[in-house]
This record gives sequence, C-alpha cells and structure tokens, in this order.
Amino acid sequence: MSAGVIAMEDAGFIIGSYVLTFAVIAGFTWRVLRGGRRLADRIDDDDKYWT
Amino acid sequence: MTPPSPTRATEAPAEQVDGGARSGTGTFATRMFGIATLVTMGWLVAFGLGFSPADRDQEEAVRIMYVHVPTVWLAYLAFTVTAACSGLYLFTKKHSLGFDRFAGASAEIGVVFMALSLATGMLWGKLTWGVYWQWDARLTTTALLFVSYVGYLAVRGLGGSHDQRAKRSAIIGLLAVLEIPLVHWSVRLWRSLHQEATVLNTNGDVDMDGLMLFSLFVGVVAFTLLYVWLLLHRSRVMAMEDQLDDQGLDRAIDARRAEATS
Amino acid sequence: MTDLSPRTGPETPSPAAGTKRKWLPMIVIAGVLVAGGVIVTQFLRSAVDYYCNVDEVGTRSGCDVNRRLRVQGVVQRGTVRSAGSDTDFVIAFNGAEMAVSYDGEPGGIFKECIPVVVHGHFDTASDTFLGDRVEVKHSDEYVAVNDERLAESDALADACETGTP
Repeated sequence: MSAGVIAMEDAGFIIGSYVLTFAVIAGFTWRVLRGGRRLADRIDDDDKYWT
Repeated sequence: MTPPSPTRATEAPAEQVDGGARSGTGTFATRMFGIATLVTMGWLVAFGLGFSPADRDQEEAVRIMYVHVPTVWLAYLAFTVTAACSGLYLFTKKHSLGFDRFAGASAEIGVVFMALSLATGMLWGKLTWGVYWQWDARLTTTALLFVSYVGYLAVRGLGGSHDQRAKRSAIIGLLAVLEIPLVHWSVRLWRSLHQEATVLNTNGDVDMDGLMLFSLFVGVVAFTLLYVWLLLHRSRVMAMEDQLDDQGLDRAIDARRAEATS
Repeated sequence: MTDLSPRTGPETPSPAAGTKRKWLPMIVIAGVLVAGGVIVTQFLRSAVDYYCNVDEVGTRSGCDVNRRLRVQGVVQRGTVRSAGSDTDFVIAFNGAEMAVSYDGEPGGIFKECIPVVVHGHFDTASDTFLGDRVEVKHSDEYVAVNDERLAESDALADACETGTP
C-alpha cells in the first residue's frame, strides 16, 4: 500500500470523526430546539420561568 | 361548565402561537452562550484540523484527539452534574423537580456525547492501534458507563408521577456516577491497550506539545459552553413537558368531574 | 362525592398509546441488563488481565505457553521483515525477547521501537509466537513532528534495543 493511499485513508477517518461529531451535535440541537418551540406554543409565557 | 374539546386542548390562539414560536426556550443568556459556542467550535476546527502539528508517532491521526477527549470530558461533566442534581433533589427538604429535570437533561446530553466519544475513539483506535475495538479495561468500563446511563434514561421514561420518576432516577444517578473514577483509573488499575491520561494524571507532568495542548483546551472550552447551552434549553423543554402532563391530568379530572355531576 | 373511577365506556381513549410508551423503556431496560451482563463478562474474561509481558510468558500464572495468549513487548529495531504474506519481527520486554510471525501486515502506527500487543499462540517447535492480531500501544506522550525535542525523543526511542520501553 502506498503512503499516499494510507494518507487518504487517514484523512477519511479524521474528517469523518469531525463530521460525525458536528452532525450528531446539530441533530441533537435541532431536536431540542424544535421540541422547545412546539411546546412553547402550548404554554402561556407567564408559566415559563425563564421569560 | 363545558368540558374542553379534545382538539382545543392542543390548539392555542394565534397570537400565543406566534409569541411562543418567537420565544421558545431561548433567552439573552442562551443566545450569548450559543454565539460563544459557535465561535469556539470554529476555533476548534481551525486548530484541530489546521494549526496544530502532526504527532511524531501518530502523525495526522492525533487530530481526532481534539474531538474525542472533549466528548469524554463533556460526558463526565454531564454525569457528575446529574449526580449532583440527583443528590440535591433527594437530600433537600423541598425535593424540587427542577433539580430532577436538570439531572435528566444532563444525563441525556451525557449519553449523546458518550456515544460520540465511543465512535470517535473507535476511529482513532483503527488508525493508531490498528483495531476499532478491543475488550480492554478502558473500553470495557466505558461501554458499561454508557449502557448504565441509557438505562437511567429508560427508567426515567417508565411513567408514574413526576416525583416517582425523580426519586428512582436520582438513586440510579447517584450510583452510576461511581463508575467514572473506575473508567478514568482503569488504565492504571489494569493492563490496558489504551494509553494513560496525559493531562489529568497524578504525576503532574503534561507530555504534550504546546500547540497540541492549546488545541485540546479550545476543544474542552467549546464543548463546555455547548453543554451549558444545551442543558439550559433541554431542561426548559422538560419543564414544559412536565407542565403539559400536569395540565392534561388536571383537564382529565375536570372533565370526569363535570361528567359525574351533570 | 365525585366519581373519579376509571372510565370503561366506548368514548374512553384507547390505552394502546400509553401502553406503547411504557413498553419501549422496558425493552430498553431489558437490553441494558443483557448488554451490562455481556460487558461485565468480557471485563472479567478479558479486561482484568489484558496481556502478558514477554518476560512473563511461561513463568507467570495465566501466561502458560500452551494456551492462547496476548503478549506485550517493544518491536526491536532492525527486526521487521516481510516474508510473503507474513510479517516477522522480534518483541522484547524487561530484557526478554520473543520472535513473532504475524499472519498479515500490521495496521495502525506499527513500526520499530513501539510497544505492541500480539494475539496468538506460542509454537514451541519453531520457538516463535504465531500472531493473528497485532495492536499498537501508543504512549501518552504527544510530540510534534517538527519539534526541536525530536532528536532528544529519538535518542530515548533508541532505548527500545534494550527492551526497556
């Protein structure tokens, strides 16, 4: 196996670990914010302790 | 008294919908944390993939460390906060459900990041060790920590009153956190494939190049800010879920009372 | 007194939704218990004594030569040779050496003067450890490739010839 191929394989794993991390963070964040927006529609602002 | 119709219970006046959609769970503080998180995440990518040097032995593969270690740090932090809030719920007179919701939100975030830590660790392991997984002490105890908190979240979803949920999950939260020192010290207690801790060790030496250490520091700061931001949002969502549960129960009792007296 | 007993009439909402919601956590808890059992078993079988050092093979309890072993040692300088599909090298630890014949090309950051764990069994006829899996143990030191301390650390790496990591 040539050094170039090894480097390409490494790059796939390295970039992949960053992409995976940020994709999961983005997905979780989206789920939390969407849940918040949906529920906020059904509750009076007076009942939200953070407002 | 007219019982509320089932559909109206989930609908809100237009102006309230708009107001709610605008506010959501965000506040000035969360927006500030959000901006700080985005900025430091940008730095993490720049330093992790760009400015930091390659390692003598691991070469470019060392760059995975800048996301792997912060995910572990965040999971440890999250599970410790879960334990602290569980203790505050159990051992304070008020037994505030606010503590329980912080504990639950923190555990949920911790599980997500523990999963990420396992995944990025496997990718790093393949490049350096030559294998994705091996049943050595660190990997095995980490897997146990992960499934323990998946169990914690499942127990929270079992149903019952909010206080029942809070009480049983608080006990698990206080017990499961004891696994963290076991995971951290597993590489010293037993012979392990995984390397020993470079920063959080007992000899006080940090055998790491300066720019590598700074990149790792940026990662830890970025993930800590992200944790605070997520915790604030998720605990607020949980507060609304609990409130809607209570409202649903109140409505059901009101409707039943109206039926019985009509 | 208000009757708050559970309703059984036709307008009662189906209990399916509520039941479904509680089944999922119960299935997850069952899965967690099974996974926990598997992990603890693996911990007791594999993790508590992950490897034998080269100098312990045949002398330490659990490191008998007639069983499958995981042996840890430092790859010796100038010993790595490709022989067909196999890779031969010598590992050493605490002054003891062992010849290894690995069935394949080691992955990871395998190289001379780095500690490895080889899985396999000892062949007494050829006095060679026949490996079918190699794992590279990297240290907790992180040194930049262009660091001026590189020469110093390379000098330290030369110590591998003595089998003392």
